[in-house]
Amino acid sequence: MLRTGFQVAVILGHHGALPGLTHLLPRFNPASAFGSSTETLVSRFCREMTESKNYALPNASWGPDMLSLYHEFLEKTKTEGWVRLPSFGSNRDHIQGFKLPLESSANSDKSDWRLFTRCIEREGQGYEYVIFFQPSEKKSICLFQPGPYLEGVPGFAHGGSLAALIDETFSKTAYLSGEGLLTVNFNIRFKKHFPPDAAGRGFISTLDTVPSGEPTNDHLPYRGPPAEQGGGARSKR
Amino acid sequence: MLRSCTAGLRSLWALRGGREGVPRLSTDLQPAPVSPGSRAAKMDRKRLFSAEKVIHTDCALPNPSWSKDLKLLFDQFMKKCEDGSWERLPSYRHRSTQISEDFKTYFLEQKPVKEGRLSQVRLFTRGFEDGLGFEYVIFKNNDEKRTVCLFQGGPYLQGIPGFLHGGAIATIIDTALGLCATVPGEAVMTANLNINFKRPVPLCSVVVINSQLDKLEGRKLFVSCNVQSVDEKTLYSEATGLFIKLDPEKKSF
Repeated sequence: MLRTGFQVAVILGHHGALPGLTHLLPRFNPASAFGSSTETLVSRFCREMTESKNYALPNASWGPDMLSLYHEFLEKTKTEGWVRLPSFGSNRDHIQGFKLPLESSANSDKSDWRLFTRCIEREGQGYEYVIFFQPSEKKSICLFQPGPYLEGVPGFAHGGSLAALIDETFSKTAYLSGEGLLTVNFNIRFKKHFPPDAAGRGFISTLDTVPSGEPTNDHLPYRGPPAEQGGGARSKR
Repeated sequence: MLRSCTAGLRSLWALRGGREGVPRLSTDLQPAPVSPGSRAAKMDRKRLFSAEKVIHTDCALPNPSWSKDLKLLFDQFMKKCEDGSWERLPSYRHRSTQISEDFKTYFLEQKPVKEGRLSQVRLFTRGFEDGLGFEYVIFKNNDEKRTVCLFQGGPYLQGIPGFLHGGAIATIIDTALGLCATVPGEAVMTANLNINFKRPVPLCSVVVINSQLDKLEGRKLFVSCNVQSVDEKTLYSEATGLFIKLDPEKKSF
């Protein structure tokens, strides 16, 4: 498999809370999810959809790094209040009765429309990712394993494929934080292409987003050669 | 960005006196020279033909999924190509294994990988069935150092229901800017991409991306573009980018 297929990127999106909107949630409990805007949004978002396939679950194509990170964060959903976000083929499955503040929104969601980051059906060939969200800190982590259909420069993932996943993570984080939905500005600095000897080893790249001001970088402990991507996005409701 | 590498590599082939040219159409291919009639010859021809047929389909040409707007614009730009000021850039779903390997060893100093692992690779923007993903064609004006990309986003590129995903727009902008930045014989990689989204793009509509090279400083190429509707009345996005020429001497980004 291509070395891009072995690499796992963890993207941390942190949405800075505006004054007056911070909610301290020691433990997220879906059963008592009312009163707090973030809680309501998360519980509505994570509603069980039995007819739609949830892609944010391990499958045979996930490498050992992806699986170990996944289980690490799954533990955190039990002990530290993290929420594993389900991921369906279309955003309409998440957002019931969603109304866009736009003049020209489509009237119907055709059955063949698919969310861009879930458009490649074959396991392991395109985007394999799962997002974990921390409601109390309004931050999220995305575990990402790119497949061979995402190639750009020979041997590496297309910059646009990474941009798409970053945009997706930003959008979910902003939405669940109650701060916004549509991307207004998007700035990516590609610092290093995935190093050639990273095949088979996971590495973690993090980014920190704030609603206004310059983006900053925070680094989690990594398990491979250093690789960093900085980015920031502002979103509007 | 990636097609810039393919274009660069074609010139690279020519410069290095490549073993075989990169044909544009499957009809350009010649079978390998083995004794005719032998089983090896038949196997070779079959394998060569079927492999090359997959690799060398030019996707930057009209197909049934193209809307009327897209076809009209395509015809307008093909007329502009007649006097040589504009050229249509071809675009393939797969890259031949040899080109990929040569690129990596020449620019990035990587060890060659087994052919089996590369056979499943697809160019990201050409990995979809007709009409479902990215339908686009790029025309380049070398004198004015600008490109025009005609783009129709298909149903698999959805973000918010009914609209194009921001990442899909970012991908096509990255592609258009990269090809604007590239020069035959050279390869570039994206260093920075800054996009301002003004209005969301409806799914399955046609947009025009006009890019130009603003500044050249050594190995740094500064490019910018805007994304407009066909009638130029709606501005969907504006973007700027910084691309870096890959230096074979330095073998690094």
